[in-house]
Amino acid sequence: MNKIIAWVDQRFPLTYFIKHELTDYPTPRNLSYWWGFGFLAGFVLVIQIVTGIFLAMHYKPDSSLAFDSVQHIMREVNYGWLIRYLHSTGASAFFAVIYTHMARTLYYGSYRRPRELLWWTGQGLLLLMMATAFMGYLLPWGQMSYWGATVITNLFKATPVYGDQIVTWLRGGFAVDDPTLTRFFSLHYLFPFLIFAAVAIHLVALHTVRSSNPSGINLADKDNIPFHPYFTIKDLFGLGIFMIVYLLIVFFKPDLFIDAANNIPANPMQTPADIVPEWYFLPFYAILRSVPDLAGGVVAMAISVLIFAAMPYLDRSRVTGGARYRPIYRAMFYIFVIDIFVLGYVGAHPPAGTLKVVGEIGTAIYFMTFLLLPFVSRWEEKFVLARGLPPAVEAMARKEIAEAEGNV
Amino acid sequence: MSEENTIKDGADLSRREFLGTVTAGVAAAGVAAACVPFVSSMNPSSDVLAKATTEIDLSGIAPGEEKTFPWQGKPVFVVHRTPDEIAAMEASKGGKDPEPDAKRVQKPEWLVVIGICTHLGCVPNKTESGWLCPCHGSVYDNSGRIISGPAPRNLDLPPYHFVAENKILIGKA
Amino acid sequence: MSNKKLFGLIFCLMFPVGAAHADEAQLKRGAHVAVEVCNTCHSLKYLKYSDFLKLGFTKAEVDAMRGAKGMADPLISQMAPADELAMFSTVPPDLSLMAKARDGGANYIYAMITGFYTDAKGQTANHVFPGVKMPDVFMIAQADAAGRKGIEQKARDVSAFLEWASDPQAEERKALGRYVIGYFILLTGLLYFLKNKIWKRLD
Repeated sequence: MNKIIAWVDQRFPLTYFIKHELTDYPTPRNLSYWWGFGFLAGFVLVIQIVTGIFLAMHYKPDSSLAFDSVQHIMREVNYGWLIRYLHSTGASAFFAVIYTHMARTLYYGSYRRPRELLWWTGQGLLLLMMATAFMGYLLPWGQMSYWGATVITNLFKATPVYGDQIVTWLRGGFAVDDPTLTRFFSLHYLFPFLIFAAVAIHLVALHTVRSSNPSGINLADKDNIPFHPYFTIKDLFGLGIFMIVYLLIVFFKPDLFIDAANNIPANPMQTPADIVPEWYFLPFYAILRSVPDLAGGVVAMAISVLIFAAMPYLDRSRVTGGARYRPIYRAMFYIFVIDIFVLGYVGAHPPAGTLKVVGEIGTAIYFMTFLLLPFVSRWEEKFVLARGLPPAVEAMARKEIAEAEGNV
Repeated sequence: MSEENTIKDGADLSRREFLGTVTAGVAAAGVAAACVPFVSSMNPSSDVLAKATTEIDLSGIAPGEEKTFPWQGKPVFVVHRTPDEIAAMEASKGGKDPEPDAKRVQKPEWLVVIGICTHLGCVPNKTESGWLCPCHGSVYDNSGRIISGPAPRNLDLPPYHFVAENKILIGKA
Repeated sequence: MSNKKLFGLIFCLMFPVGAAHADEAQLKRGAHVAVEVCNTCHSLKYLKYSDFLKLGFTKAEVDAMRGAKGMADPLISQMAPADELAMFSTVPPDLSLMAKARDGGANYIYAMITGFYTDAKGQTANHVFPGVKMPDVFMIAQADAAGRKGIEQKARDVSAFLEWASDPQAEERKALGRYVIGYFILLTGLLYFLKNKIWKRLD
């Protein structure tokens, strides 16, 4: 075996790569379990790709056959029900993991320099994921699949001048129909491999700047430990906990994320009582509906997703460690998270009465959090420096401020 | 920095290695078990398995007539043989793959064979004296036995049994 | 939680059908109701006659249920859709997934079947589904107390059957799930101890 590896090493940096980027890769020793969610996301991606490929062996992407083919998978294909439920639950698991991963980054300020590109590649990954999930949801061709796709593709009408043409082009017809289904299937199969490639880019960016850590201080070399075996085992343990929760849903509550209306074949002549997207889109859906104007709503929704990219520039505080040493940022973070849950609730219900007002307030809070940040972060910086910080953190902050002011 | 080789005492290391080995073993067993549903999903689904058998009504086939029926996606030749044909087949042993006619039928007037040439898989055409394969010229007799041509074996026999005087069930459930 | 789901939860609490713990006898009774009553107008097209063998029916019993239809044939409605459209001004929906297509599942179905009553104008109406085009097939609106009990039992049975029909692998799934979760609890436990052992080296 060693001879084979030596032969390869002469021609390909196999051992070097594994040592440098995996086993000996220096990692801060104080990383908490919040740092394991990136690994979990990668694992769920693999689950989705594998289950998806096996589903595609039996699924028929044709509007007259799709719904039946899903029932064929559920009832007649050996373990078809298991592969299907792993895939449908996996989509929700993917978003749960990624949203937690993003929350960790926001809380600890891991988007700050020099990790802007790491944050932006992550942003790109989120967009690819959302597109993939949206297209995948059409495939079962249930009532919610059909009408959800109709509502969202309709949004592109907001595009000035060419709106209607774009929608028709997207759908391949005048309504969501067979052409839409076939192309969504093709792209839904493709995108996960684009995601896979983007993950590789994301990891290259990570390895260039190395992980941040909960303390906010750049740790000395001695405080870094090799990734293997410490973080391989820690990530695997985290994976074990995740799998228990994930599989409890797959085996005991598999219809938890499948809307009842999606057990009815798509009927273009009849809209279900409530059109509700999957839970992971609800906050954005609420924002969309909070703005009375169609174009305004679409713009607001788009910005609500894209604005995260601006975080490295919106947050002007030079105090590191994110929320750890910054009480006001921490408060804003928690308010933001609660606001997202509130918006999620709003998105799940018809926009009427009190709920409509709650949605509008929630949307305002959402955007205000980002818009106030540049001003609040600077003010807070003065505040915490005056109040006192751990010496290492204070030194780093003052150094960065001096450099910035020296450049003015 | 290979701390795993820093041995405080032999017992400590072997306990550590034991736990590691056991965990790896349990994990490997899990990975192997996880492959089962995926591999199994590629096997025929229950609706395909239900088509493993086909019932055939023989009453529509006159003496001297041959009809072809699909079974598991393959053609099956069913011949209602005349007494002359039966006598001729019983008298002969076949060609390069000798086999008595009696072993190839359950009732002598009914010949049931899989209509796929044993050479390279084409479907032979019925002739007066048996079949002729259009692809490479293999000739079969009225017992489905190979007489001349490149085919190595007699036409294969599907499993079947009589469920009534004039009905057979091809295949096993 | 959407209002629909809340409604469904209330059903589960108010109308305990016991479908979750349906025994074989109940499922068989329900199957008979489904084939003899419901199937007249409703298709159950994702079920095949051969599926009844899984409920414990013998081949002879299934042969009696299927009549001239083949074993591998789906349960389509006995009335033709065109005739149904003429008679009810709608085609009755397929029932294979009805227990999943309604919040409240089997309990909703039970409540609907037993929810027929005669209103002030003397017309048949339904508490749960006002304006429903389905007739009161069990005639519960006119039944006396004893009759009502019998119909309620039938409704329980057929609701349990329809829940089975929407998810025939439920028992197999849960049985496998117990083993899989058990395995992962074991594996995660081992990983926990191994993690602690490895991290002790740092001190």
